[in-house]
Amino acid sequence: MPTQPSSDLSAYLSHELRNALACIHQFGNILVDGLAGELTGEQREYVGIMLENASKIRAVLDGALDGVPGPPEK
Amino acid sequence: MDRTKILVVDDNPTIRKGLSVRLRANDYEVLFAEDAISATAALVTERPDLVILDLGLPGGDGFVVMERLQRNDRLAGIPVIVLTGRELADNRDRALQAGATAFFQKPVDDSTLLFAIRKALDVSRGELRFDE
Repeated sequence: MPTQPSSDLSAYLSHELRNALACIHQFGNILVDGLAGELTGEQREYVGIMLENASKIRAVLDGALDGVPGPPEK
Repeated sequence: MDRTKILVVDDNPTIRKGLSVRLRANDYEVLFAEDAISATAALVTERPDLVILDLGLPGGDGFVVMERLQRNDRLAGIPVIVLTGRELADNRDRALQAGATAFFQKPVDDSTLLFAIRKALDVSRGELRFDE
């Protein structure tokens, strides 16, 4: 685990990365939930992979920037 | 019966778009503001039922919007849900003390946000207490 970033860098990273992640998260779920039309099974699977990895990034961010433990390493 | 009106205040157009798709799919009417000044104007002219408020805004941050809202007797009862990319430290407690009903960091799960909206609306309409 890297040392904690400085508070200015931490604030900048939190704002920029969380906003970008929120967009991925929002629109991924809009697609999965069929709000922009029904997906095929394969399309749903791929968007699911994107969302799963966005969640992993969020867990790492929570740990790095807010002191919440991230997911265990496999 | 009029649809419940939600004001989304965020300077990021993609976030506004994503929230609008989700909220409209849940039968809410959605209004937008992209900075503190237009948020304050929309509060006065539209008197929304609930506000989803980012903290990092041009023209004065989300705390300025909450302060203006709390100072206006006609607007002070409007529930505010803070949805921000800012860090937890300093911001969560400060937002709740400033009158926010709930505080979430981006990204938030849709089900979590929708539940908080329903609960905040029930409380503001007197159908539920905060601790229920």
